[in-house]
Amino acid sequence: MLLFSYLLLGGITTGALYALVAIGLVVVNKSTGIINFAQGELFMFCGFLAWMTHVQFGLAYPLAFIAATVGGFLLGIVTDRLAFRALAKTDIVGLVLATVGLAFVLRGTARMIWGGKGDYLSFPPITSPEPVMIGDIMVVPQQMAALAGAIAIMLVFAAFFRFTRIGKIMRATADNAKAATLVGISIQNVYTLAFGAGAAIAGAAAVLAAPLTLLYPDMGFSFFIKGFAAAVLGGLTSLSGAVVGGLLVGVIESMAGGYIDSSMMEVAPFLLIMLVLIICPTGLLSLHKTRDV
Amino acid sequence: MPMFCRRNVLSGLFILALGVPAFSNAYQLFVANLILIYVLLAIGLNVLVGYAGQLAFANAAMFGIGAYATALLQVHLSWPFYFAFPAGTLIAMAVGLLISLPALRLSGLYLALSTLAFAQFTQWVFSHWDNLTFGAGGFKSPPISFAPLPVSKPVGLYYLSLIVATCVTLFAQNVVASRIGRAFVSIRDGDVAAQSLGIDLLGHKALAFGISGFTAGLAGGLYSQLLNFVSPEGFDLFQMVIQKATIVVGGLGSITGSVLGAGAIIIILELLREAKGAQEIVFGGVLILFVTFFRRGIVGSLQQHFRGWDEPLHSARPIGSALPSQVRLGEKESLS
Repeated sequence: MLLFSYLLLGGITTGALYALVAIGLVVVNKSTGIINFAQGELFMFCGFLAWMTHVQFGLAYPLAFIAATVGGFLLGIVTDRLAFRALAKTDIVGLVLATVGLAFVLRGTARMIWGGKGDYLSFPPITSPEPVMIGDIMVVPQQMAALAGAIAIMLVFAAFFRFTRIGKIMRATADNAKAATLVGISIQNVYTLAFGAGAAIAGAAAVLAAPLTLLYPDMGFSFFIKGFAAAVLGGLTSLSGAVVGGLLVGVIESMAGGYIDSSMMEVAPFLLIMLVLIICPTGLLSLHKTRDV
Repeated sequence: MPMFCRRNVLSGLFILALGVPAFSNAYQLFVANLILIYVLLAIGLNVLVGYAGQLAFANAAMFGIGAYATALLQVHLSWPFYFAFPAGTLIAMAVGLLISLPALRLSGLYLALSTLAFAQFTQWVFSHWDNLTFGAGGFKSPPISFAPLPVSKPVGLYYLSLIVATCVTLFAQNVVASRIGRAFVSIRDGDVAAQSLGIDLLGHKALAFGISGFTAGLAGGLYSQLLNFVSPEGFDLFQMVIQKATIVVGGLGSITGSVLGAGAIIIILELLREAKGAQEIVFGGVLILFVTFFRRGIVGSLQQHFRGWDEPLHSARPIGSALPSQVRLGEKESLS
């Protein structure tokens, strides 16, 4: 029971982080139809930005959070303006390859600035690192902090889409781009905003993840592919689906690592993805929809 | 017939390649051999991505399987290289066909994800199945000898690679110029239309995966001999991006482009050998730059500047054509 609850809580925490990455992917995909293969690298890059603010410059953790989120947002906007806007008229192969290219530019840049050979930077924890026993359940405060942060970000994001004017404009564009143009929405700006928002949420996720994991230039890809898997599980265009998918990936990963073999942790999500794509390619939560594959 | 055309350039490169061992040092010969291996990889990937339009990310994994299978058959079963090499190639091809099975139902981004997941899984097997693959540290592969022939191992391997690369280039050139190649292109440009023309979608997709697995397997076998060492690291995502870059730079949907792109990319890679960060930035940058501004790759500009350079099945659509803009307008159903 102790092991199970420990694994479950750990899985939910990492799952919530995957869910944030997945939400970033879904936001971009919903409005632009692109999967941003650089999402994981944006995550990694923002993590380093936060590290720089918090550890190198010695500023408070909330400031690091703001730096990473704003930094992510600006990075998203810049990359859209520089690369993706010019690509609006090419096909999906070109777009995917361009985002892969962006991923490597970010990774190389991070390696040049913060990397070294196999350098892992540690991010100081924001709560006490000692686990606390609540009844029969062992709770790691740092994990709980990350989980609470992730839930808060999800709520803020949902409110943004539901209640703000910009959020409504983005939803309208995702729903029907042509109709949105007809009522005077600039689709180009919505795309730019979507890339910015997707990158900002990656930045927020990175600040939450940083105290739990070490920072290194190659960390982005595994977060990306698990976030991608979560997004696909949820059907690629559903925000709530992305959250459920993320939690599922996180919990399965943690359980496989705890009960089967610790090396299974890395590979279980991929086996799950292959299985899901073979059996029901539209994702677990969109069985009623027509096939988009 | 104009002097500067596809056939003359390829023949010229072949003659040049024949003479390389005579006037190069050991390092230059190594790089030339590496280029030949990447020519194989680029051709296979171009058939799959550039011609058949399947957005797959498993080529580096199949390259790795070819290398591992060739080397492990020699180490564990003490097969001679000349048996292990074709067997390793067949294994890589079989795996290529196997992963094409789910791929036949998937397209676009879903295919990208499932092949990425497969690539990660392969990496994991390479580094965790210690009894078979010797784990993350890799292992030494026994060197071949060209005993009866009076050549040293590097020179012999170079000519073996040259023979294989030449045969594959000719084979691929003929395949894509045939009915099969036109079927690939029609699947790329619109699979519903292709099907309505009576093209067997599943068969041709499987064939494209099989061809790319076959060439990646050949390249893997030669690569294991070139390095005399096999480890999981060489077959990661960066490897995949190098291969993608070769076909984007050379030109999607062109065999000649694959050859030229492989040469260009490997030379850049070797010039930046010292700094991994710089390598990644340059590669990522090259990929973005070519996709954004030189969609047609090297062969695209050759075609533009030299009359008589024909690239009949070249993939880059003229900018502004109807299909691509729909990607961004959310009309995904018409695309996928």
